[in-house]
Amino acid sequence: MLKSDDTRDVCEFRVGGHSFAIDSEGVAEVLHSAALTPVPLAPEAIVGLLHLRGRIVPVIDMRRRLELSAAPGAAAPAHLVVRRAEDWYSLLVDEVLDVHAIPRAGIEPHASSVGDAAADAVTGVFACPDRLIHILDPERVVQAIHRQRTPPLVRHGVTHGR
Amino acid sequence: MVGANDNEEFVQEFLVESSENLDQLDRDLIALEQAPGDEARLASIFRTVHTIKGNSGFFGFSKLGAITHSGEHLLGRLRDGKLALDDRVTGSLYSLVDAVRAILRTIETTGKEGDHDFRDLAQRLTAMAAGEPTEPPPREHALEIAAEPPPPAAPVEAEIAAPPEPAAPAERAAGAGGERSGGEASIRVDVGLVGSILDLVGELVLARNELRSVATDDPAVLAAAHRINAVTNALQETAVKTRLQPIEQVFNKFPRTVRDLAVSCGREVQLSIDGGDTELDRTLIESIRDPLTHLVRNAVDHGIEPPDVRAARGKPRAGRLALRAFNESGQVTIEVEDDGGGIAVAAVRDKAVAKGLVSAEAAVALPDERILQFIFEPGFSTAAAVTSVSGRGVGMDVVKTNIEAIGGTVDVHSRPGLGTTVRVRVPLTLAIMPVLVVRSGSERLAIPQAAVRELVPLKGDRGGPRIEGLDGAPVVRLRGRLLPVVFLDEFLGLRAATACRDEGTVVLVRVDDHEFGIVIDGVRTTAGGAGGTAIGEAASLSTVVVKPIGGLLAQIGLYAGATVLGDGGVVLILDLRGILRAAALPVVRESEAASVEASLASGDRYLVCRTGRGRRIALPLEAIERLENVRASELHALGGRRVVRRGDAFTPVVDADRLLGTVAAAESDTINVVVLGGPAGPVGVAVGQILDVIAAESPLQPSLVAAGVRGALALGGVATEVLDISGDLPC
Repeated sequence: MLKSDDTRDVCEFRVGGHSFAIDSEGVAEVLHSAALTPVPLAPEAIVGLLHLRGRIVPVIDMRRRLELSAAPGAAAPAHLVVRRAEDWYSLLVDEVLDVHAIPRAGIEPHASSVGDAAADAVTGVFACPDRLIHILDPERVVQAIHRQRTPPLVRHGVTHGR
Repeated sequence: MVGANDNEEFVQEFLVESSENLDQLDRDLIALEQAPGDEARLASIFRTVHTIKGNSGFFGFSKLGAITHSGEHLLGRLRDGKLALDDRVTGSLYSLVDAVRAILRTIETTGKEGDHDFRDLAQRLTAMAAGEPTEPPPREHALEIAAEPPPPAAPVEAEIAAPPEPAAPAERAAGAGGERSGGEASIRVDVGLVGSILDLVGELVLARNELRSVATDDPAVLAAAHRINAVTNALQETAVKTRLQPIEQVFNKFPRTVRDLAVSCGREVQLSIDGGDTELDRTLIESIRDPLTHLVRNAVDHGIEPPDVRAARGKPRAGRLALRAFNESGQVTIEVEDDGGGIAVAAVRDKAVAKGLVSAEAAVALPDERILQFIFEPGFSTAAAVTSVSGRGVGMDVVKTNIEAIGGTVDVHSRPGLGTTVRVRVPLTLAIMPVLVVRSGSERLAIPQAAVRELVPLKGDRGGPRIEGLDGAPVVRLRGRLLPVVFLDEFLGLRAATACRDEGTVVLVRVDDHEFGIVIDGVRTTAGGAGGTAIGEAASLSTVVVKPIGGLLAQIGLYAGATVLGDGGVVLILDLRGILRAAALPVVRESEAASVEASLASGDRYLVCRTGRGRRIALPLEAIERLENVRASELHALGGRRVVRRGDAFTPVVDADRLLGTVAAAESDTINVVVLGGPAGPVGVAVGQILDVIAAESPLQPSLVAAGVRGALALGGVATEVLDISGDLPC
């Protein structure tokens, strides 16, 4: 693949009928199936943990994270495992497409057109002839998780503090 | 010369090496002070300083070069016998070590030498080398510990580890710095690399388990599988050991610390170190460094008496301070023992009462051992009153917190007049942890075994303990005690709450000072066999490799990590402190419990009521002035409070549910108000229903204190919470 400063290598994937992409450099691995261990009381977007060669990797359901509904005919759900410093995360997406080199000049830095939840993670949009690719910042995808809804905690007794 | 990036790496290496060299220098100097004629020691010191000087030239650190050059010159004169070693010279050499350390620290953080000015020191070293008389070296280097009290009038004299008799430990301490530890036999390895080895071994364990589950009759395959099994176990054990390091790394700093401290506090201290080769996980070594330093400082500053006082008490002038480390039942125990004045228990007791930690009556009843535990209370000992009476523990609460954070414990023993022993126990490693794997709903979870006290099967109809519902606060009655419990499945949202549950098992855990029960479905075999609930399978204690779960999940605050079991399944390890917090369980320290116990004897009579929300509560009868039935229309809002008017008097009224931290239920037309006599006039508590007056059948259990609750006791055969009316009621 052509590599130059003028282009950016991104890995494209689909969630809820929309196209997204992250820098391919941060992608550690793509898994097509994995046993998930649920994490009770985790933020809603975290659907579980997967075990990847000795690492425990939290799985973020991108549909929930971006608050998008399922698109008909989502081909093959896949885990896009990304590295973020010491922590690894898996983004559960509807379908992993391809790695493209897209010209930097073609990336429009304006906000997303796919909803509020996506807006805070989208850093730019690249227009292909047939579709818009929303470039995501994995860092922001992760950071916003805790601001999202968390299932209510079942409490015993009373709360503290008078 | 080397390239910029390479250079950085070399500098890093230089820093690490030099820091080790400096520790060695400290030890050598202390040994030299005791045996000024030791030529080999002097030569070793000379070589070390020479090496640092050489390296600093290579990297262009001119200040470091200049100061070490002066030092080297002086050492050369000493070595050649042109100059005799005396206090002034050793003092200057200590200053040299400190100066080098300061410069290295600056290089480490900024990459540059910084604006240290050691020209005075350099001059002094040079003058000494020339045999000129010099001013006595300033002692500020000894005051690494700022704000220590000035030394008493007695002449300053420090004697470290001078063996008056050939006591073995003392010898060892002096000899510890003697030979350089065999650098040839060890290599530096990146910690991350060791981590990956552990991960890979974990993978291997899984593969082995798969192999085991493959049914075969072929004896050759079975034999091979058996061998792989044995090797894998050994490999895992060895891999874990690579993370261990001798505790020496912490202990080695202490001879110098103690020496300086003894000088500045006017004490004579004889330090002995034992068990420095006891091994501990690298990360834990770092974590115990500060707490141990604190304990050592306390022992010198507050434990060991000034020489004159000791002499007057018939003790040797030099106090003994012993540091010991040893392995004990899978944990590492570290003792800091002094033969000083001990802790004045009476002073601690008075202080505890004064601070309201315990009532005066209860304090008298508590044994000395329990009283001593108060020194670990936050802010307890900063008070001068205790310190001046030879109490100790400036910041003992911090020591305790830090040690407990790594799963350890601290306890203190003191014999008045004879000394104090502080015993710290920490796990060998945090990378490997024994856990109890339990089943809750459809999930498996792990509970750190260190916290588990007991497993109690629930058998309501078969005479076993039952869960009693203290409306919204379930408890289990165990050998006369009421303990709060958490239904793990409900708590984690794995299953909807059910009214009454008498099945499963209570895992009784203790975290810090709190004991509570976790109700689980069963204890599950880690091999992942048919999920048994029999307690016989409690043997499914398993030693697992703890994996970090990443910042995202750590923020939930309920999980300490995760692990992969033998069957390949991922299991979350519960953070019991987090659960204690999140479940809002009754939080009461035993020390407080004693005071409540003492102040409320059993046999007292209580008014039992139901709150508007239906919670069963009790109020001590003696506190009640009268009962009233008030119409809702008689309640008025006055200054943000609700009051009921009786003649000219307004009695504030507060809803019992609000006292309990919940929202008051909708009120009916008439309200029952229990009017309590208080120091500031009567106060009314609105309740839903008044049930009865009953004499207590059990002592108050203060461990059940939740918001607004003082404790719980059995009334009419039912566990009932006693409303806390001791403070100002938030009317």
